[in-house]
Amino acid sequence: MPFTNSISQFYEFLLERYPDILVAAREHVTIAIVAVLLSTLVAVPVGIYLAKNRAKWLHSTVFSIANLFQTIPSLALLAILLPIVGIGTKPAIIALFLYALLPILRNTLAGFQSVDQSVIEAARGMGYSAAQRLFKIQLPLAFPYIMSGLRMTTVYIISWTTLAALIGAGGLGQLIVSGIGVNRKELIFAGAIAAILLTLLTDQLLGLIERKMFKRAKSA
Amino acid sequence: MIKLNKKFYMLVSMALLMIIVGCSNSSGSSDKLKIGAQTYSEPKIIAEMYKALIEESTDISVDIVADLAASPIVIQSMNKGDVQMATLYSGEIFNGYFEIEETKDRQEVLKQAQQGFDETFGFKWFDSFGFENTYAFTVRQELADQYGLEKVSDLKEYADTLKIGVDTTWLERDNDGYRAFQDHYGIKFKETFPMEISLVYQAVADQEVDVVLAYTTDPGIKEFNLKTLEDDMQFFPPYDASPVIRKDMLEKHPELEGIISKLVGKIDVQTMASLNYEVDVNKRSPKEVAIEFLKAEGLMSNES
Amino acid sequence: MMLKTNGFIALFEYISDNASTLLSLTIEHVIMVLLGLALALVVGVPLGIISSKNEKLASVILSAANILQVIPSLALLALLMMFLGLGFKTIVVGLFCYSLLPIIRNTYVGLKEMDANLNEAGRGLGMNKWQLLMKVQLPLSLPFIMAGVRVAAVIAIGVATLAPLIGGDGLGREIYSGLNMRNELKIYAGAIPAACLAILTDVLLGRLQNRMKSKQSRQKVETQQGAGVSVSN
Repeated sequence: MPFTNSISQFYEFLLERYPDILVAAREHVTIAIVAVLLSTLVAVPVGIYLAKNRAKWLHSTVFSIANLFQTIPSLALLAILLPIVGIGTKPAIIALFLYALLPILRNTLAGFQSVDQSVIEAARGMGYSAAQRLFKIQLPLAFPYIMSGLRMTTVYIISWTTLAALIGAGGLGQLIVSGIGVNRKELIFAGAIAAILLTLLTDQLLGLIERKMFKRAKSA
Repeated sequence: MIKLNKKFYMLVSMALLMIIVGCSNSSGSSDKLKIGAQTYSEPKIIAEMYKALIEESTDISVDIVADLAASPIVIQSMNKGDVQMATLYSGEIFNGYFEIEETKDRQEVLKQAQQGFDETFGFKWFDSFGFENTYAFTVRQELADQYGLEKVSDLKEYADTLKIGVDTTWLERDNDGYRAFQDHYGIKFKETFPMEISLVYQAVADQEVDVVLAYTTDPGIKEFNLKTLEDDMQFFPPYDASPVIRKDMLEKHPELEGIISKLVGKIDVQTMASLNYEVDVNKRSPKEVAIEFLKAEGLMSNES
Repeated sequence: MMLKTNGFIALFEYISDNASTLLSLTIEHVIMVLLGLALALVVGVPLGIISSKNEKLASVILSAANILQVIPSLALLALLMMFLGLGFKTIVVGLFCYSLLPIIRNTYVGLKEMDANLNEAGRGLGMNKWQLLMKVQLPLSLPFIMAGVRVAAVIAIGVATLAPLIGGDGLGREIYSGLNMRNELKIYAGAIPAACLAILTDVLLGRLQNRMKSKQSRQKVETQQGAGVSVSN
């Protein structure tokens, strides 16, 4: 039967090429993680600051800028960055970093805004300094929201990282692109399925962590 | 409430209408010819040449489907009928479409291409335009001077310190790709960077790669001052460029045969390279460059 | 790496010289997106309605659409290309796939968020299930569906830029051929309109969504008054 034939063909292909697939996966994950980490480093502090400073104009400006980056089609963003930053992992990470800003920012803000004012007041009454309030009360309570945003963002970023291959950054997208180029279905499949699996795996893993955090926050 | 109800039905009917319009969009007329072109400028320029020639002397309207990922995709599209014509290179026979006899002789390879693609796919593979566009190992001039690199074999000594930029498919190609290359020359590079062929030049300019596997007619070689290394162990097969068209298209429009033949044997390597240069380096449009060439060669009247 | 002031002038010149090509690419882009969205509406809204009535089906439908959404766009388009060939139709199918989840989910949420009072009010007026759906529930969920369309539209515009990789057209063609011809002007001439298109769509649909929301709150009141139910808001 042709179908079972192609499955065994695919299996053989995987056995033969799995080192390449793993390398591509490693490149892929590296780019995605660096982008998400950098984005978190920027978005979380900005979110915290926005939670403190209620100025409407500030909120809408920051959100508009972050929203702008999210809305721009990813190929367009990569292409715009190319002449400026060059090729390879750098423009890929920058583009993905910009994409991750909005969701992380929004969730950080939501998290901080969800903290009950009375809890903060109580803490202030007990003599907690601003820094202590931030790290001991607000962050832990806001964490589930931030975590949930991080999870969603990471999943999307891993998904979008496939495009990095177009500008020489490697990753699982490279398998897909070269598969298209040499008309080899197994390559396209391997790249596509690996990317999908990676995304789903990350989603599950982070979901697990998120649930654990939520339980802890509830007991706090 | 009745107002919103109407709106809702309007939306639905608009949606259905768009689907119908969209579907009718794709039904083509019988006097349409689609020429497929790969991602680099060369086949695009040639496609524009044919578009101009065909539209000038026949009623056929020509569409160019450009930026197809690589030659195998062009062939697949031609086979499906998504496109009917393209520029292809004789070395393509080594990509496993049909049984071939191992040879590196230019004439032999072309003959096998013409025979094989006719029997297997029903394509007419014309004789060559007059030029070859094959792979070439190039290095930055300073590197060539530093290590005294003249031939590809010279790379062996330094290969494990060198980074190479290649197009998106070379690492995967069976016959003339990286794996076969490693067997043939015994050379393995430190790192390989596959990317769109046009990006390799920026990569080497930024010194992110040291070696670039370029295409021989690509103006980037000259533009970025790269030195071409001699393929001393003759790894790469010949890649003569020819127009290729589906035979059923030819049967429907026999006048195309004469038009296509107009360019056979008319373009040599220097000419093609300079046409590529006009587009890639001087940023002119392929259409402009194509028409200018046709007029200069007297293949097209000067009134258009 | 040029750019800056003289770059802007050159870009402006390029765009004005090639205005008709760019315009037709933009129109193609928009048509692809509209078709994908339309198909997603035709399939997604009914699926959303079904989901809101049946929780078990809801989890199946929503997870399926979720998985579809999470598939990297390049991967999905490449897989579709293997089965459907190159070109326009394949891309529309891809855009349809990516527009499904936002529309299904938002239809589902919109219908679920329905105030129970309103359902009561409608039934009180003697409506059967179908009338209830068409005359009360769907119209009132329209802002939610609109929000879904908005999200889907922005995503679709983005995915559509990948069209040239599988033989399609649209603004991605300009970006991609600019990349291939090492022509920065072309890259920007494609990327900037694509970005603007997405942003404009987001803003316009956002306004439409807001207008629908304010209409909705008015109609909520009308329905309740019509059925003699006191307004609790």
